[in-house]
Amino acid sequence: MTLRITAAVLVGRAVRVAARLRGGGSAIPGKIAMTIAPNFLEETISRIPQGVVAVSGSNGKSTTTNMLAAVLRAHGLVVFTNPSGGNLPQGIASAVLSEVSLSGRLNADIAVLEIDEGYGIGLTTLLKPRTVLLLNIQIDQLNRFHEPERVVNMLRGVAGAATRNLILNRDDNHLVDLDTKIPASAARSVTFFGADPALIEGAAHGVASAQRFGDSRIAAGSRLAAVTVSSLGPSSAVLSTAEASFPVRLPSRGLHYALDAAGATAAARAVLGQAFDTSLVTTALEGLATVYGRGELLTIGDESVEIIMMKNPASLQLNLDALETAPEQVFLAVDEGTPDPSWIYDIDLSALDHVDLITGSKANQFAVRLRYAGIPVGGVDLDIRNAVKKFLALPKPSRGRKTMILNYEQMMLIRNSLGFKDLEGGAK
Amino acid sequence: MRETVRILHLVPSTLGQNGETGNVMVLTRRAELHGLAVEVLQQEAGDEFPFDIDLVYIGSGPVSAQIVAQPAILEVASDLRQLADEGVPFLAIAAGFQLLGESVTMADGSVLEGAGVFPVTTTVGGVRVVGDFVVESRLGTLVGFENRGSVVEIGAATPVGTVTYGQGNTVESGVEGYWVGNLVGTHLHGPVLANNPGLADWLLSVALERRGVVYPTDAVPELEEIDRYAAEARRVIAAGPLSE
Repeated sequence: MTLRITAAVLVGRAVRVAARLRGGGSAIPGKIAMTIAPNFLEETISRIPQGVVAVSGSNGKSTTTNMLAAVLRAHGLVVFTNPSGGNLPQGIASAVLSEVSLSGRLNADIAVLEIDEGYGIGLTTLLKPRTVLLLNIQIDQLNRFHEPERVVNMLRGVAGAATRNLILNRDDNHLVDLDTKIPASAARSVTFFGADPALIEGAAHGVASAQRFGDSRIAAGSRLAAVTVSSLGPSSAVLSTAEASFPVRLPSRGLHYALDAAGATAAARAVLGQAFDTSLVTTALEGLATVYGRGELLTIGDESVEIIMMKNPASLQLNLDALETAPEQVFLAVDEGTPDPSWIYDIDLSALDHVDLITGSKANQFAVRLRYAGIPVGGVDLDIRNAVKKFLALPKPSRGRKTMILNYEQMMLIRNSLGFKDLEGGAK
Repeated sequence: MRETVRILHLVPSTLGQNGETGNVMVLTRRAELHGLAVEVLQQEAGDEFPFDIDLVYIGSGPVSAQIVAQPAILEVASDLRQLADEGVPFLAIAAGFQLLGESVTMADGSVLEGAGVFPVTTTVGGVRVVGDFVVESRLGTLVGFENRGSVVEIGAATPVGTVTYGQGNTVESGVEGYWVGNLVGTHLHGPVLANNPGLADWLLSVALERRGVVYPTDAVPELEEIDRYAAEARRVIAAGPLSE
């Protein structure tokens, strides 16, 4: 069996080098490794001594995984993690390839893995996580998931796979009592994270949790949280546990990022037990690089370009809510990665006072939406490269920042075309 | 005196998923830009049924929401049938269209009784169809997005149109929706009126005609701009439709 793993590592790595030279395709090497050794993930990851922390939910997986890995590292653990977006089996396998020895050993104390909802049950069956952290269930990819209830069922399966710790967002309509919807286990402890109710009330659209219909339920927010967001600054927050309150820096503006930090902190606390130290949370998040595309600032020439990713309604709405003023120059790009953009009619776009240029195959549908909302549109150009060029050529804005609102696929494409050719999440 | 168009929006709190409320916004904005006033009345469970309605709209949502919405719809079923008999135009989308039909047979075999406004029956199940949706209708090409986990039987009734991309009411039918008299039911998402302003204008003109008022057709620059973008959106989708 080890020989097969070794072969998988060797071939996978060779493919990885080839893929990197082309500047993309981070999942392909992992896919090939798994074809050679079907048990590649179990064989490598299950040997990590302190096991797996699985992070899932509609939004914030990459950001939270990045935060949690940093907090655990600050506590002295060697952490294996998957880079942003590489949350399908093949993406995780690609991440393994970059660090694994030829014998299949990963030099890590613990694994922190972002897990796609749709693959969650399959992956957790393979990887048997000790800890599961679930962030939220929002309206997301209905073309893929059809109905939010299917995501609830998937995440119920993921939650039930946690052998020691389950960490849930108490402010989510579906997660607030998910622990009561799975088979009980005496070995599993359940903790919650959340935000001060006043902060949620004060947010223009709350936490954008998917509506829950039908079954009897307890209200979101009604569970006692081990870690709460107690105050929120422009790109910082104060988190509180029963024992202490401590500041954390956030990757960008917004309550959703503070909740991600609270979730990561609650998971770290559960994993580390007595060794958990709030001051190390502050230190770890202070030095954290932004996960790209998530509130990231790119420097292009002498200008900074803010990237706002719109993966789904909640991520767009919460990122728009977090804007302090209407951005001065706005570029929008949406393609077939968002096959059904109907949901833009559920979004309050009043944070924008105009959009300069829209591109991508869904550009005209966005233009219609914006114009019905009374928001001026400079124009549509379906030629993406040309549109990017035109937008970047606009005179430098007075506040020095251009804003690009992009779906995931356009974020990858445009980032790459601008010369930011690192693999997802800056994998080495 | 400005004419007021009164739109009845059925159960928006439950059947308001995936931008479907955008259809009401499109109707409202188009009427307003033509100088008409618009009043949108929301009908939820227990509300008294309003009279003097010009147009009825119901949106879509997941099966769980459809089950919750059903009693509220049954409460007013006879009132809705009366409006339909009087020629009030209806636009009903997906789960809402199904609930205004005769019945919805769920995956577990249980049957949800519908309001009986549309003489159609729905059966949940079959292959999930997800993708762009192109339909040739009497108003020309209608485009949208299909995300369907059920089949709708319309019998010998007239559909909205012939499917040129996507599935439609059933695997074999080749047609989409129901369009008889002033009743329109469809699984075109997008929302449908955003991509297809011609259908919005048709609904508004029928609504006004019943009161002897002619829907203005004068050029409104803002609408012309919107309609140019919508025409481009239709062209792009129809030229290269995709599905999952």
